[in-house]
Order: sequence, then C-alpha cells, then structure tokens
Amino acid sequence: MALTILLITLAFLAMTQTAIPYLVKQTVVFGVSIPEGEAKDDKLAAYKRTYSLLVFSLSALAIVVFWIWTVSGNPAEGQLVLTGTAIQFGIIFLSMALYFYFHGKTAKRKRTEKWGEDLKQVKITDMSARSKDEMLPWYVYLLPIAVTLGVMGYTATQYGALPEQIPTHWGANGKPDAFTAKSPLSVITPLIVLFCMQGMFLGINEATKRSGIKISASRPQASTIRQLTLRKYSSWFMFLVCVLMTMLLAFLQLTTIHEGLADDAVMMILPVVFMLVVLIGSIVFAVKVGTAGHQAGEGPAAQGIRDYDEDDHWKVGLFYFNKNDPSIFVEKRFGVGWTINFANPKGYFLIFGPLLIILLVSYSS
Amino acid sequence: MIIQLEPQSDIPIYTQLTNQIIEGIATGFLQPGHSLPSVRALAADLGVNMHTVNKSYHELEKKGIISIIPKSGAVVRPRKEISQEAGHAERIFAALRPVIAEALVVGLDQQQIEKQLISIIHDLKEIKS
Repeated sequence: MALTILLITLAFLAMTQTAIPYLVKQTVVFGVSIPEGEAKDDKLAAYKRTYSLLVFSLSALAIVVFWIWTVSGNPAEGQLVLTGTAIQFGIIFLSMALYFYFHGKTAKRKRTEKWGEDLKQVKITDMSARSKDEMLPWYVYLLPIAVTLGVMGYTATQYGALPEQIPTHWGANGKPDAFTAKSPLSVITPLIVLFCMQGMFLGINEATKRSGIKISASRPQASTIRQLTLRKYSSWFMFLVCVLMTMLLAFLQLTTIHEGLADDAVMMILPVVFMLVVLIGSIVFAVKVGTAGHQAGEGPAAQGIRDYDEDDHWKVGLFYFNKNDPSIFVEKRFGVGWTINFANPKGYFLIFGPLLIILLVSYSS
Repeated sequence: MIIQLEPQSDIPIYTQLTNQIIEGIATGFLQPGHSLPSVRALAADLGVNMHTVNKSYHELEKKGIISIIPKSGAVVRPRKEISQEAGHAERIFAALRPVIAEALVVGLDQQQIEKQLISIIHDLKEIKS
C-alpha cells in the first residue's frame, strides 16, 4: 500500500514539474516577462523543451530505479517511505536547479536582445471583469464549519463513553498507532485543527477575491479568461479540499467515539481515496487554468504596447514584492496557482496565524 | 470598459485615471447612477497604490462628476444634477485657454483647432450610440 501511494505521488510530482513551462502564461518564461512578439522565440522554446525533457527523463529514471529496488530488495516499510520521500525532494530540487539556470539564461537573452525596449509599457484593467468573477462566496464555508462544530458538540455529549487513550495518528494499515491521554482538550484537538484550517481556507478565499484581476495589455481578452478561470477553479478546488478534509476528520472522530464503526479496510482505503481525489482535482485544475484563453489568444495581439515590466518586483521570478499593490495574492509566474505578495503583511497573518494556532493546540494537548 | 495607464508617462497616474473615467462617462460606458469599483479593487486590479486611486476619485468628486457616499462608494452623478451647479463652464474654459494659446504659438490655425474640437466631440458621442 505504502509503495502504491509513493509511486502515485512521485509520478504526479514528476508530471506536474515537467508540464509547468507549458501551463504558465505564454508571456512569462522561467519567471521573466517577455513581450508578446518575442514569446515564440526559438531559443526560449528550446529552453522550455530542455527543461521538460531533463526533468521528465531524470525523474522517470529515479522512479524506475526506486521501483526495481523495492521489488527486488524488499526493503522495510520505514526505509521505503524514507527513500521515496528523498526522491520527492530530489525531483523538487532538480526542477528548482534547472529553473534557476534557465531563469538566468532567459533574463540574459531578454537583456542582450533588448526585447520590448522600444514598446510603450502600459497597465490595463477591465472595469467590467469584476462582475464576471465566479469565485465562491465566503458563506459556503459555513457548511463544513457547521459540521465541525456539530461533531465537537457531539463529542462533548459522548465524553464519558470515550476511551482513556485518544488516538492521534493512524498507520498505513488504517489502525491508530499513537495515543494521548484523554482530556477535554485532547478529545477535540483534531477538530480544533480542522476548524483553524477551515478558517484559513475561508480567509484565503476572501483575500483572493479581493486581490487584483490582472489583465495583459497585449491580449486583454485571453488574459481575462485565464484570470477568471484561475479564480473560479482555485476557489472550487479549495472548497473541495476543505469538504474532503472535513469529511475525513469528522469520520475519524466518529470512529474514535464509536469503536468498530468502520472496519480496517475502510480505514485503510479512505486516506488513499482522499489523496486520489485531491490529486485528480489538482490535475483538472492545472489543465483547465493552463489552457484557458488559448483559443481567444490566437488572434493578432495589440501592437506597439506591452505590459508594464514587473520583473523588478519578482525576485528570481518566484517571489513577488510590491508594496504599492494592495493584492494579497497574485498569480504565480512559474507554476499554476497563486503566490503571496511578500510586501503585504496581511498575507503573512493569513498563512502563519492559523498554522501557529494549530501548532500550539497540537503540542499543548 | 478598459482603462489603460502609462506608468512611465510624464502625466501623473492619478490624472490619467481621472481622464479615462471622465471619458468613460462622456462616452456612456459609465452611466449616471453606476458605482465605480472600490478603491481597493481598482488599485489591486491595476497594481497601483490605493492612494493613487483615492486621489483620482477625490479629484472627480471635487469636479462634481461623482459623489462619494459612505458604504456605497463612488457613484456617477446624473448629468442634470451636475449641470445645475455653477462654475463648471468657467473652470473648463480656463483650463482650455492655455492649451489653445499653446496651439496658436506652435502654429495651428483657427480652422484646424475648430475642426479638431468638432471631431473630438463627434468621437465621444459616436461611441455612446
């Protein structure tokens, strides 16, 4: 079982890392903004190809070697998980290293070719775009939050029936393998953690909604479609993860209260189903967003202008620092999804606040 | 309605924004009674400082073109209401004077200026219909 999970996550990781250059905006190559006219440059296309080929072949090689090793060497489970995790980090490290290399090369090519220096830099917005925004409203999160509070209340009524040892961790076989002593706090710790996560998701949804809808001057129509698609599907995906998390943790809580509610097979299969749904959801998300607006972007682009060059705000093309921009989140330059505006302190509170509470609750009980 | 700013231009960004909103109202994209986006939303969409948008909205309010109502935000005022107020014509003709003077100095003749004036009015009205 552990091997299957590891192989699925490794394959998923290798696939997404390989596809990134082709899923990002066409006018941002390895974190460097490129004017529309130069986006199809042969050298840049070669950089992308080389990156994807190297990431794909080296990760595939590592995964095959790993698989052969587990089948022939029959390692212990701990060793297996450790090696699998190490390979995950290896793939991430490899793609990061290649990213930095090609980021440098792309930036250099942009400089030496003086791309876009004769074009007027503009910022545009479509005042009607906000009315087409299809992000979920904040109150849908009240549903999973109500479930959490309900299960908390139910736990309180069943306090006497709870076992003296409260499970805190479940092994790959679906059986609890770590416990803590029963106390009013320890019986609802998982639910408090869940509650914090739900609050964080709600906050992220709202902060994303208030963040800017960034439109590209050279292709206003295509970029509007992409931005609106990204916003809509990230809010749906976040809500899906939140609901799944709620179902899983609420179910685990019920099995703690009523021992023997679910047999071992269900307990084993449940986290795997959870993981698969999230993985498939993220693939659908990446493909939907990555291909959004391609059709609308095939016509001729606006001439003589280009987007305001924000390269100075993007440190190494990954970290966005712009103290003028009130947005908390902005679309990633390398990858599909969002990154935080590091110059806006609100983002730090939103991410680290709930995490801090979760850590405090987990360690104090 | 698309708003396009040039951050590297000599014209301050808030003035560019004010001018484009006024043009949007003149052409009918922004109807009287409609709300403008909130300061935060417009600043986030454009990636500019909130003070810039705020300054532009206050300039529009000072000109009497929009009214800033607490909670509901910036609303385009009805034409009739604006035109009933005194002082608009004086302000605009005073602003026009140096431009016309400059036009004469650089050698444009009366006919050219008049023709251009009519063509601008025509342009703005045409988009509306």
